[in-house]
Amino acid sequence: MFKFILSKIILLIPTFLGITLAAFLFVRLLPGDPVTILSGERGISPERRAEMIAQLGLDKPVIVQYFTYLKNILQGDFGQSISTHRPVVEEFFERLPATMELAFFAILIAVLIGVPAGIIAAVKRGRWPDHVLMGSALTGYSMPIFWWGLLLIMLFSTTLGWTPVSGRLDIINYYFDPVTGFMTVDAWLSGQEGAVTSALHHLILPSVVLSTIPMAVIARQTRSAMLEVLGEDYIRTAYAKGLPTWRVIGIHALRNAMITVVTVIGLQVGTLMAGAVLTETIFSWPGVGKWMIDAISHRDYPAVQGGLLFISMLVMLVNLIVDLMYGWINPRVRDGK
Amino acid sequence: MKLFADDAWRTTWNYFKESKGGLWGLGFLGLVMICVIFADVIAPFDPSLQNREALLLPPIWTEAGHWPYILGTDAVGRDMLSRLIYGARYSMFIGFVVVSLAVIVGTLLGLIAGYYQSWLDTIIMRLMDVILAFPSLLLALGLVAVLGPGLVNAMYAIALVMLPHFVRLTRANVLSEKNRDYVIASRIVGASNWRLMFNSILPNCMAPLIVQATLSFSNAILDAAALGFLGMGAQPPIPEWGAMLAEAREFISRAWWVVTFPGLAILLTVLSINLVGDALRDALDPRMRRS
Repeated sequence: MFKFILSKIILLIPTFLGITLAAFLFVRLLPGDPVTILSGERGISPERRAEMIAQLGLDKPVIVQYFTYLKNILQGDFGQSISTHRPVVEEFFERLPATMELAFFAILIAVLIGVPAGIIAAVKRGRWPDHVLMGSALTGYSMPIFWWGLLLIMLFSTTLGWTPVSGRLDIINYYFDPVTGFMTVDAWLSGQEGAVTSALHHLILPSVVLSTIPMAVIARQTRSAMLEVLGEDYIRTAYAKGLPTWRVIGIHALRNAMITVVTVIGLQVGTLMAGAVLTETIFSWPGVGKWMIDAISHRDYPAVQGGLLFISMLVMLVNLIVDLMYGWINPRVRDGK
Repeated sequence: MKLFADDAWRTTWNYFKESKGGLWGLGFLGLVMICVIFADVIAPFDPSLQNREALLLPPIWTEAGHWPYILGTDAVGRDMLSRLIYGARYSMFIGFVVVSLAVIVGTLLGLIAGYYQSWLDTIIMRLMDVILAFPSLLLALGLVAVLGPGLVNAMYAIALVMLPHFVRLTRANVLSEKNRDYVIASRIVGASNWRLMFNSILPNCMAPLIVQATLSFSNAILDAAALGFLGMGAQPPIPEWGAMLAEAREFISRAWWVVTFPGLAILLTVLSINLVGDALRDALDPRMRRS
């Protein structure tokens, strides 16, 4: 197992270097030199300019510059935001909990609905529940989620008035200092009556929107994984020895189908991060997705650069964990290669 | 160069028409294509013609709606239906250009990587891993931020983001085909590398590539619409569906039709392409068949 983990981590090194190189080149691909870009739109004095060139090491060869950049990254220095003059790391991690909370609830909804939907479709294969469920899954998969979000706001917020249009909490009635950054947890810790409900109220529409595509993918993959497993000999044996259907499907089949499903769930992290950009923009959700969009529109390139790097590292990390889990659940993968 | 024999097409069609969803999708796409080709004839108005007398007019079946604005008008009095019809041109054009770019470049890189399996293979595949490490829409956004917002740059960005899928798919297929008897036979009779790559191996890798291209077509349309919605793709007053939604956002509480129809157009088009893609996969590739 140790060898397996090590081999997976070693494989990531070239990708990590590639990502950092891509991020490094990102600012250099822009028209104009980095100092002009890093100093923002107002510009700076020639003295400060020379100082910055020396400070950033721009007078050195590009390869040296890249290694300096890499060294800084490994030491946790991702540069400074142009618009706030604060370290990009701080800005990013301040907003990450909001995105993680949203993503967590989205994946929860996606799994709670997607997995049962896939199982039902597989068991009722070729009959109407299969057609209805897989038709809905394909529709969800084809959904432009930014429009879906607007439709839900139109129905539930403006017409019915059931849910708020934006934000994370009813800030007129509740206030507490962030402890964990997760609004639901902080609301609960604050002990104020109704705060948790208010947080959940704000969370429901964005998480439903963000869950749409992962839910569709999970449902489709669960169905095909289940169909594959249901054709195996041990399932026939389980039926033959007289086990009730729920036991065969719920325990014998599902446990083996879950190997595929867990991988698929892990692979949705990239989709979630991309979806978060759209969802957070629509619902004015103060997470990293909205922060990235704001950074792009303010031409805050260090923030965009750092944000892209962080998010891809996050996705890489989650994929690594999924790979390791996969090896742990399924010994054939671990020892096979 | 003929990639498929005539009866290969017939067999594919026979399988394809078994899928009701695929036929529905094909039918709707036919309708969209009619809009694309005959937009000038069908559209009742010029898509950028503003009528100051008819601002935010609701669709014709509501009380306040009136002829000839069938789907109503937007905030500056432009006919929704005409804009949607012309918008079909943009979406299909985007899908076509993006997928063609990604398929041509991706197949070429994949062929080279799989056929030569040298240091070039390593470089190409590591490069693709790097592209894949970024969530696609975010990478496209980052690229557009560098290149500058606009439809053309958005298309380049989306094509680049899609590239790895085609490279990997082609490479994997080339690897499994290149040691087959028919390839070795043509090598023995003296076929050049070029000929082996393009005339022997490539035609046998086409089926999964066609399926992937169809599914990428829908992704290209979705991503381009998303970029348009975020203000990074097509810019107003272009009647691209995503950009139309961006303009419509502020009227969400007053004019449901300006929000509803462009999104519905995106959804139905993308859904149709995916239905066709699923049916094509079932018809073309028995191994990938969705049981």
